[in-house]
Amino acid sequence: MFDKDFLEQLRQQQAAWAAAHQGSFEQEVKKEFVSEAGIVTRRVYTPLDLADAGVDYFEDTGFPGDFPFTRGLSPIGYRAGLWKIAQYSGQSTPEECNQLWRDLAAAGLNTVYAAYDLPTQLGYDPDHPMAEGEVGRTGVSLVSLRDWEIAFDGIDLGKTMVSTVCNAPGAMVIAMNLLTAQKQGVDLKVLQGSSQNDVLKEYTARGNFIFPPEPSMRLVVDALAYCSSVAPNFYPITVCSVHQSEFGANHVHEVAFALANGIAYVESAVNRGIDVDVIGPGIMWTTSHDHHAFFHEIAKLRAMRRLWARIMRDRFKARKPESMMCRLYSSVGGTSLMKEQYLNNIARSALAALAGALAGAQRIDLRTYDEQWGIPTKDAEITNIRCQQIVGYECGVGETVDPLAGSYYVEWLTKEMEGRFVEEIEKVDQMGGTLRAIESGYIKRTMLDDAYRYQLGVEAGEIPRVGHNMFRQDDDQSRPVRVYRADPSVEQRRIEAVKELRRTRHDREVSRTLKALRAAAAEPATSDNNLMPPIIDAVQAYATIGEMCDVFRDVWGEFKEPKVF
Amino acid sequence: MGTQVAARRIRVLLVKTGLDGHDRGVLVVAKALSHAGMEVIYGGLHLRPGQIAKVAAEESVDVVGLSSLSDNHRALVPRIMEELKKVGLDDVMVLLGGFIQDEDVPVMKAAGVAEVFGVGTRLEDIAKYIRTHVRPA
Repeated sequence: MFDKDFLEQLRQQQAAWAAAHQGSFEQEVKKEFVSEAGIVTRRVYTPLDLADAGVDYFEDTGFPGDFPFTRGLSPIGYRAGLWKIAQYSGQSTPEECNQLWRDLAAAGLNTVYAAYDLPTQLGYDPDHPMAEGEVGRTGVSLVSLRDWEIAFDGIDLGKTMVSTVCNAPGAMVIAMNLLTAQKQGVDLKVLQGSSQNDVLKEYTARGNFIFPPEPSMRLVVDALAYCSSVAPNFYPITVCSVHQSEFGANHVHEVAFALANGIAYVESAVNRGIDVDVIGPGIMWTTSHDHHAFFHEIAKLRAMRRLWARIMRDRFKARKPESMMCRLYSSVGGTSLMKEQYLNNIARSALAALAGALAGAQRIDLRTYDEQWGIPTKDAEITNIRCQQIVGYECGVGETVDPLAGSYYVEWLTKEMEGRFVEEIEKVDQMGGTLRAIESGYIKRTMLDDAYRYQLGVEAGEIPRVGHNMFRQDDDQSRPVRVYRADPSVEQRRIEAVKELRRTRHDREVSRTLKALRAAAAEPATSDNNLMPPIIDAVQAYATIGEMCDVFRDVWGEFKEPKVF
Repeated sequence: MGTQVAARRIRVLLVKTGLDGHDRGVLVVAKALSHAGMEVIYGGLHLRPGQIAKVAAEESVDVVGLSSLSDNHRALVPRIMEELKKVGLDDVMVLLGGFIQDEDVPVMKAAGVAEVFGVGTRLEDIAKYIRTHVRPA
């Protein structure tokens, strides 16, 4: 990338500079600046570091909107408009949640990033004994098409994109999303939206699994194949790295394990004879971009985008650029925030938004200042929307595309990250792929070791946390004015609602469609036996998530966790 | 030497309450208590109150450590205490960790929880508390 004579001259001058300033170097507060992933940050970066790391402008950096997409997916970046502003939210009943989402949409939210309650995520209806104490708490309880009709009443799915976070029953949630949009009169060919539906990370980082990995993967591939023709602008899967990060994984493990999961989904589709370019454009990603190790976060996302493009082109022989695009629907996890002096979290959120914007994310979602105190309040959620608007409109970060490109440091770090991701993915490949690495407990154990090291680092004061392990205020009495508390009557109201649904729908239609679903699930997956059509039929008959999951549980059994401790 | 051999290691069951799958916190505590010399049994995810009591009895533990991040403790902790009584573990030490709001702490203690370790707790403080308050049977 640089002329040989220039580099030689630079090498000599840099050596002379270092010799002249040796005395200053001794005043540095640490002998080494090492990241949690073990990357040592050098004192200063120059073109020499890029040359030594083998960074090639055309191969590695290139132009925005062109392969390998290091500089972003779009040739014009945010010059055509900001990223999508999302806020993970959802609580209690479909009726109350409808009001919350309408209010957030009025504040400028353009993606409803729907939080589901735990029973629904685990395939239990509100009246199931396993649901006791959890209905409508960590998210909204939405178990049927009727619930969707209520929750999205007056919210135009043709304009507001919905991203649902419900994984093991993801295919059923997609069916509800498509049918609700259709009922509103939205053309499915133009419908935008996404489902998280990333079951593999549930086995290692989030714990909301139901079925064993193989049939779960089948549901994902069926959804990808089905939506590619029926709803081509809808993303049926969002492969996640944010949960690995929240579990405590360092940057390298976080991204490498997510990419390994992405590889497994694509491989599974390709092995079923589905063209990689049919399903490739339907994949999006939920990465993390918190304020810690700010430049590492940005380099991490640039490297991830580049590596996924290379994996799709070289490993899977994709031909369409859309198949190679790593769409960053990025998020921040609550572990980056502190309980102490809770208002400081607004600064952290704003910096996280900046990290996401500088990385060229397609969507940004932040955690709230009261996150360490409980389920977020609406006031705190609106503050996050404002943080993004300040970064986007007032700072003007989007005036040029990929403003950090060409920084000796950021380009070096991007290359360094990519190399480390490749090494870790090779390790997983050698174990026989991500499913084997999940079953053996390798992935979870590796991340747990990272989490434990992090905790010890925080307790030893080596990892700085303002207000917590430095600049503590012993007389700190600050606490959010309002802390969200779940209404204990929600559970009973939801139990009654689901009973009412069962009384009013057509029983015969429900049992007919559930029977057809069972028969399809018991047969092997083929191009003629995609589970999405029978799921759509059952959802249309107002079968619930609990009833459909019971069918699958019966046929496929349940996942048994490997011992990681 | 003989008396030292007889001194059994403190046995701790760590488990999540309810359906929440975020087990980073409880697993980090498991590692810490194990490094502190205790015998840790990790109960895994999605156990109901009765199942938690059953494991506690089978493993004859001295301490049951519950982790709640999803605000289910107000509903589930009293149910778990009931189930522990049913299997004869009236005096097992029950600890609670995770997202426990300040006003819930006295409620949890009244329900029989010995101590609550919320957000920001140091690992060594949990180990110290157990060592001070438990005499292994």
